[in-house]
Amino acid sequence: MKSRGYTVIGLCLTALMLFPVYWMLNVSLTPQQDMRKDPPDLLPLHPTFEGYRAVLDDQLPYLGTSLLIGIGTVALTLLIAAPAGYALARLRPRGGGALELALLIAQMIPGIVMAMGFYGIFLDLSLLNSWWGLIVADSTIAVPFGVMIFTAFMSGIPGELLSAARIDGAGTWRTFRSVVLPLSRNAIVTVSLFGFLWAWSDFVFANTLDGGGSWKPITLGIYKYIGNNNQEWNAIMATAVVASVPAAVLLVLAQRYVAAGVTAGAVKD
Amino acid sequence: MTVARVDRPRRAPAAAARASGSGARSLRRRRRLTALAFLTPLLAYLAAFYVYPLYRNLDLSLRDYTVRSFVAGDAPFSGWDNFRTVLDDPTFGPAMRHTMVFTFVSIAFQYVIGLALAVFFNRHFRLSTVLRALFLIPWLLPLIVSASTWSWMFNSESGVVNYFLHFFGVAPVGWLTAPDWALVSVIIANIWIGIPFNLVILYSGLQNIPGELYEAAALDGAGAWQQFRRITFPLLRPVSAITLLLGLVYTLKVFDLIWIMTKGGPGDASSTLATWSYQLGFGTLLPRFGPGAAVGNILILIALVFGLLHIRVQRRQEA
Amino acid sequence: MKPTRRTLMAVATATLLPLTACGGGSGSSGSSSSAGGTYTFWDPYPQFDASSDWGRRVTACGSAAGAKLKRTSYDTTDLGNKALLAAQQGNAPDVMLVDNPVVSTLVEAGILNKTGDLGLDTSSIQQNIIGAGTIDGASYGVPIGANTLALYYNKKVLSAAGVDPASVKDWVSLTAALKKVKAAGKKGITFSAINTEEGSFQFLPWFWGAGGDLTKLDSAKGVAALSLWKQWVDAGYAPKDVLQNTQTTSWQEFATGDYAFGENGTWQLGNADKAGFPYGVVNIPGQNGGSAPVPTGGEFVTVPVQKDSSRYDVSKKIVGCLTSSTNLLATDTTLMYVAPTAAVQTEQVAKNAELKPWVAAVAAARGRTSGGLGTKYPTISQPLWTAVQAALSGGKSPQDALAAAQSSAQKG
Repeated sequence: MKSRGYTVIGLCLTALMLFPVYWMLNVSLTPQQDMRKDPPDLLPLHPTFEGYRAVLDDQLPYLGTSLLIGIGTVALTLLIAAPAGYALARLRPRGGGALELALLIAQMIPGIVMAMGFYGIFLDLSLLNSWWGLIVADSTIAVPFGVMIFTAFMSGIPGELLSAARIDGAGTWRTFRSVVLPLSRNAIVTVSLFGFLWAWSDFVFANTLDGGGSWKPITLGIYKYIGNNNQEWNAIMATAVVASVPAAVLLVLAQRYVAAGVTAGAVKD
Repeated sequence: MTVARVDRPRRAPAAAARASGSGARSLRRRRRLTALAFLTPLLAYLAAFYVYPLYRNLDLSLRDYTVRSFVAGDAPFSGWDNFRTVLDDPTFGPAMRHTMVFTFVSIAFQYVIGLALAVFFNRHFRLSTVLRALFLIPWLLPLIVSASTWSWMFNSESGVVNYFLHFFGVAPVGWLTAPDWALVSVIIANIWIGIPFNLVILYSGLQNIPGELYEAAALDGAGAWQQFRRITFPLLRPVSAITLLLGLVYTLKVFDLIWIMTKGGPGDASSTLATWSYQLGFGTLLPRFGPGAAVGNILILIALVFGLLHIRVQRRQEA
Repeated sequence: MKPTRRTLMAVATATLLPLTACGGGSGSSGSSSSAGGTYTFWDPYPQFDASSDWGRRVTACGSAAGAKLKRTSYDTTDLGNKALLAAQQGNAPDVMLVDNPVVSTLVEAGILNKTGDLGLDTSSIQQNIIGAGTIDGASYGVPIGANTLALYYNKKVLSAAGVDPASVKDWVSLTAALKKVKAAGKKGITFSAINTEEGSFQFLPWFWGAGGDLTKLDSAKGVAALSLWKQWVDAGYAPKDVLQNTQTTSWQEFATGDYAFGENGTWQLGNADKAGFPYGVVNIPGQNGGSAPVPTGGEFVTVPVQKDSSRYDVSKKIVGCLTSSTNLLATDTTLMYVAPTAAVQTEQVAKNAELKPWVAAVAAARGRTSGGLGTKYPTISQPLWTAVQAALSGGKSPQDALAAAQSSAQKG
């Protein structure tokens, strides 16, 4: 009885929260000429699938690129952040505190400041308009976060496990690889998911560094519809709907681990 | 490995004893080298991809760059001139104020709403898992899309928000076109985007609070509010701290959302340091790199202050 | 008659082009293949991909010049900054198409070659169009076409409200017309007053139409122009969301069929035919009658400075090809621009009579950076659009807003 009450409230809250998402769907189905109708149509009574047709015609390669960039970003981030997190958490290097502060600040630097710096570097190294250049850039959002999460998580691993491995003759690297990493699954999933989502939704880097490439991510695909002389809202929103699907699947799959990963550090003491 | 885990309690002290023995110094040195080896990728990465952009930004803000000297690379050193220009600009005061209001109001609401929802979903009613998952959807949308959707919903002529308000007899509000409402509108959109993140973290924090505590409190006759105040909130403090910190980190630098919705307008009614920096550097036909970079550096400085503050608070908590 | 002449032109250029391409010297066919290689080309038309008419034309001009052209499209607003950054790294593109007010900024940065030094002939181009790319008497680019602003009107809405479009001659009669339209239950006028360059571009016809001077923003004339807009917004003749409107969204509002007038550009003619209601075009009236001076829009083909000056030969041929009469005609037809030369304009009007008022409007238009303003224009334009926003949103009175703008423009 009481539980049903909660469900009803929960449904109402969810409806309220998701209204903008519904609106996005609604707009994606609205024909161009009804777009500025006053009052707006609350239901897509005369749906058009033009937007979706446009997406399927033009946007699939962009989706592929975004997927590639997302996965690449995750791989690079894990490669750099996991060992660093381990070192900071367990090996107590000199200057570790300062490094942690630097990483914290690094996360606060506005993307556009970074983007401009990158533009210069990329131009010199002729990395502009390449998908792997964008992977490097996108990973800068995720690496400091990843190191923070890994540090917090790995400090929580019982010390006895590590010394036991050492006594069995495992070097630091072996310990890291075969004890610490498997235990850090939650943190790995969390960092991967965040890294992927950031790379997936990044616009500033993509626009600055990959504006003219032939491998463009989906955010630029959307931007194409917000061009100089036209704004095709149904195509924009249709792209957004399509673009959210892989992310949604991923989040549902990973949700369980994420919670554990993020909070491990916070609740360590 | 399983074996190792089984013997762990017996052998661990022995290892510690050995480490403090004769070879301690060389062991420590080796350990430091190992640590360095593990950190090398990160350090190289930071040097390549953080230090250089930051150095360039600092350089831009300390020299008198015109478009000509920007290309030629011979801009004269001008010390704090760019900073002085920026601080004297009539836009500085409002931009600073908007940045603070935007950041703190957003964080406060995101946190409170996120916490309320986390407590609510912690009740485990029917469908709670599904609904909680649905709450995360806003997080998945590319920012450019959610910002566009909100600006569409807030449109003063045919936006759906004004349409709903008219049922309650409210006259149309110029959400994005009235100076008093523009900042409110972008804050609302930003809160909406931030709720899922707060919900996820705080919810998982709640999961780690042992249920027996609540049972004991209920036996003592504590009501729901009492339980929240005496158990949930204090035990959630470390999680709250990291949530708020990450919230701060990501809110301070929000740029795309505001730029897409209002471009800092009308006038400069919703311009923050981040949008102003962009406006100076890239928003006009004649870029003013120096002042733009100076504003960016002020933003980094603010971040630094908050970072130090966080570390101090953390130290005090640990002590 | 018409097709014959076009065919003739095409044949003529087809035979002429290879000639000019080989004109560099006796051994040039050999050297052009070795010097050929890849040339970079930037333009602000991301809406056209490689298979579009424009994309194919660019490729064709590259191969006609004996080079492989690598074309990259950027957003208009990004292009100028990207060019500066690229030039800083010594990596500027060989040929670049930029929005006309950006030319003076790039010249100030010292990264563009004079057309005279390259030996490009610009004598047939209308003076006021090339004016935006002329600094201290030297031109730095060849306009590919020009566009400007006028008032589109919806014939249905006007006749329902009992307004004769011919009666709109000055500000008073225009405002009276808007009043009638509103009384008839329709919406008056839409324009773009966004806080970007577009906002200034759209405000200038009114500002200049009152006799305003960009070096004295807060003169009574400037205040009169801003008060006119404010009066429209306050009275509900123009919607509040003009503050957010780009020229594109402003067009979409007009295309709903609810609005009597829409201030917009030549480039919307194609969309106007699709809008589904009868429309007409009138010039933007000046305060006391006559046509207001309007700003020119449109892009210039420029040749950025290169370390290796031997590349200019090919670049020059590419520019020559893109701005040849046939290609201008084709390009300006695609973009719905008015051609920069009288000869091509005549052809355009012969093909499409609707362009006639636009050709007249372009002839009377001014470059934003003309008249010696150059790179001072951007430092004036930004305070100007801020002032427009502040006044229309009710934050400041037109007088105060423009006074603040003037003081900030003076600081530079």
